[in-house]
Amino acid sequence: MELLDKLTILADAAKYDVACTSCGVSRKEVKGQLGNTMNAGICHSFSADGRCVTLLKVLYTNVCSYDCSYCINRRSNDVPRTTFSPRELAELVIGFYRRNYIEGLFLSSAVLKNPDYTTERMCEALRLLREEYGFRGYIHAKGVPGTSDELLVRLGVLADRVSLNIELPSEESLRLLAPEKSKASTLGPMAFVRDGIKANYQDKQLSTVRRTRFVPAGQSTQMIVGATPESDYQILRLSASLYRTMELRRVFFSAYIPVNSDPLLPTGTEAPLLREHRLYQADWLMRFYEFDVGEIIDEDEPFLDPLIDPKCNWALRHIDQFPVEINRVPYEMLLRVPGIGVKGAKRIVMARRHHSLRFEDLKRLNITLKRAQYFITCNGAYPEGVVFDPLSIYTLLAGETKKRRAKGVLDGQLQLLA
Amino acid sequence: MDNCNSLLDDAELVYLYDGTLEGMLAAVFTAFARHEDPANIVEAGDLQESMLCSYVPVTTELRYATRVKNGITEKLGERCYEDIKKVFLSDDAQKGGVLYRYIRYSLKAGRWSFTHLAEPEVADFVELRARVEKEAHCMLQFVRFAQLENGVFFSRIAPRASVVPLITDHFARRLNVQPFIIYDSVHGLASVFDTERWWLADARTLTVPKNSSVEDEYQALWQCFYDTVAIEERKNPTCQRNFMPKRFWGNMCEHIPPELRRKQPGTATPTAVARLGAARQKLLEEGYTP
Repeated sequence: MELLDKLTILADAAKYDVACTSCGVSRKEVKGQLGNTMNAGICHSFSADGRCVTLLKVLYTNVCSYDCSYCINRRSNDVPRTTFSPRELAELVIGFYRRNYIEGLFLSSAVLKNPDYTTERMCEALRLLREEYGFRGYIHAKGVPGTSDELLVRLGVLADRVSLNIELPSEESLRLLAPEKSKASTLGPMAFVRDGIKANYQDKQLSTVRRTRFVPAGQSTQMIVGATPESDYQILRLSASLYRTMELRRVFFSAYIPVNSDPLLPTGTEAPLLREHRLYQADWLMRFYEFDVGEIIDEDEPFLDPLIDPKCNWALRHIDQFPVEINRVPYEMLLRVPGIGVKGAKRIVMARRHHSLRFEDLKRLNITLKRAQYFITCNGAYPEGVVFDPLSIYTLLAGETKKRRAKGVLDGQLQLLA
Repeated sequence: MDNCNSLLDDAELVYLYDGTLEGMLAAVFTAFARHEDPANIVEAGDLQESMLCSYVPVTTELRYATRVKNGITEKLGERCYEDIKKVFLSDDAQKGGVLYRYIRYSLKAGRWSFTHLAEPEVADFVELRARVEKEAHCMLQFVRFAQLENGVFFSRIAPRASVVPLITDHFARRLNVQPFIIYDSVHGLASVFDTERWWLADARTLTVPKNSSVEDEYQALWQCFYDTVAIEERKNPTCQRNFMPKRFWGNMCEHIPPELRRKQPGTATPTAVARLGAARQKLLEEGYTP
């Protein structure tokens, strides 16, 4: 088979994995070797679906011995199957990297024979790339649930980031749709990787320049949203606990897209992209805005409001804390004002040291007032022509959302203030 | 002011300089020395004269430029001077005026003036700086190298600011085993890296050798990968263009329309994607359930 066909098959089979980041680790260049990594990562292109392309995302093989209902590569699907040779893959990565197409490699795989055999093959491909080709760019490797500890160590030393996919938000759904996988087979290796990363910092002998570090960019995971009946509440609770107990860098959500027809799966539905978007907004609030999961969502209303973003939702539920005075409010509270982001909050704190800010000053600081205007005062004054009333604020903000998304918005979610 | 070519008495004063950083700094010095307040400082070459402005050419005196430079680095710090150099790379027609007003404001307000974000002088400067930095970052993202037959990797870019000096270091460190040229066709500037060091070269015209024999192969592989990773059900061209504006596409090989590509992928066999679709369709028609 031609390399072009192989690449098409193995990229097509890998595209449903959402994680595509090259961030979290700075590795300096070394004379005579190709590549380095930057902490912030770089997106090199954006595909027609608007997702960033930063790594060459491919499977090592799509020959699979598992039969997960949601997966395009399940063994009962009649699709063309193929496998890279380690050298082919390495040549491809180097060729792309030299042309500034990519930051590195994202290597996943279907389960060839068994998890250990698969991981061994992946390690061999990565070893070739790192040792023989001297490649110092970014590598994200997928851990296959059920892999032994020894192989995880080898994988983690070669890669920058390792991720094990939770796949579905509950044990029950996993049993139903991915019978060969279980919560334990994912969480076990995940905990092992976590402990390995911790050891990086504790082992004093490693603190030399030439140390080999284990998974320096941390680990991540992903789960499919909308294939099974779990609520946003369950999903966010789960991701919050993964951040806490597993010390993950990222939890990715992937809106379920039907690729197989199976009586166990929902049919004919559109991919729940808005729901995925709201989940990511909530995830951002937890990671960068110091929100606790309990502040974003609770059991009584287990789904996020599609019409307004979770931060607006929180602000409207805590309307007694608003409006805040932009010239005096502490940074932590500034972060909680809808429409003000981390950069904007920092700019405000910086600028107000010099003189007090008026609304026109905020515009000069590039603060968008569309949402923020309802929740702030400048020198004690509320903006002209704006009414401070939760219900009308909700209606206005929800109207904006509706305008932006002429379709795809659910009805009957107005119970917030009704 | 002998060179008054305006019809109006209260015309805006505009300085003309030679397009160099030293010329710009000398113009700033001249404004201080003459107690004048120019609305803008523009390059003498690419001038579209307006009747509402009076134009005064300023000669580039190196010692004046040095005095301004030293004043900035001593009073405001090296970092501030770096920022000024960065804004100088901008293509914005107002950059001369913005730079002049920022320097004047900062020398008065002191070392922390860069935090006075709500002051118009600072806000304008910060915005121009952000635009130059954004343009430079876009180049780190979207530069595409092609291997020439002599082994050098070549890239053509068309940025809205003269960012080649800002981005070459990044590529020189990263690709350190690989000689390359980045050619900015808008500003007529190229940077050349020979695996040891890099330098800038004036390049108004350039003859580029042919691509190497493997180049088409790699471009075809990349185009095929790029087309494959998009998920049909999530198509979102607005989002795509927000992150990657169309003005960059002309120099990126993945955006060459299929009919113009030099190597046609998968002409011998149907592409795997089509085969996947056909296989799935067949299964569904047969009433397949696993």
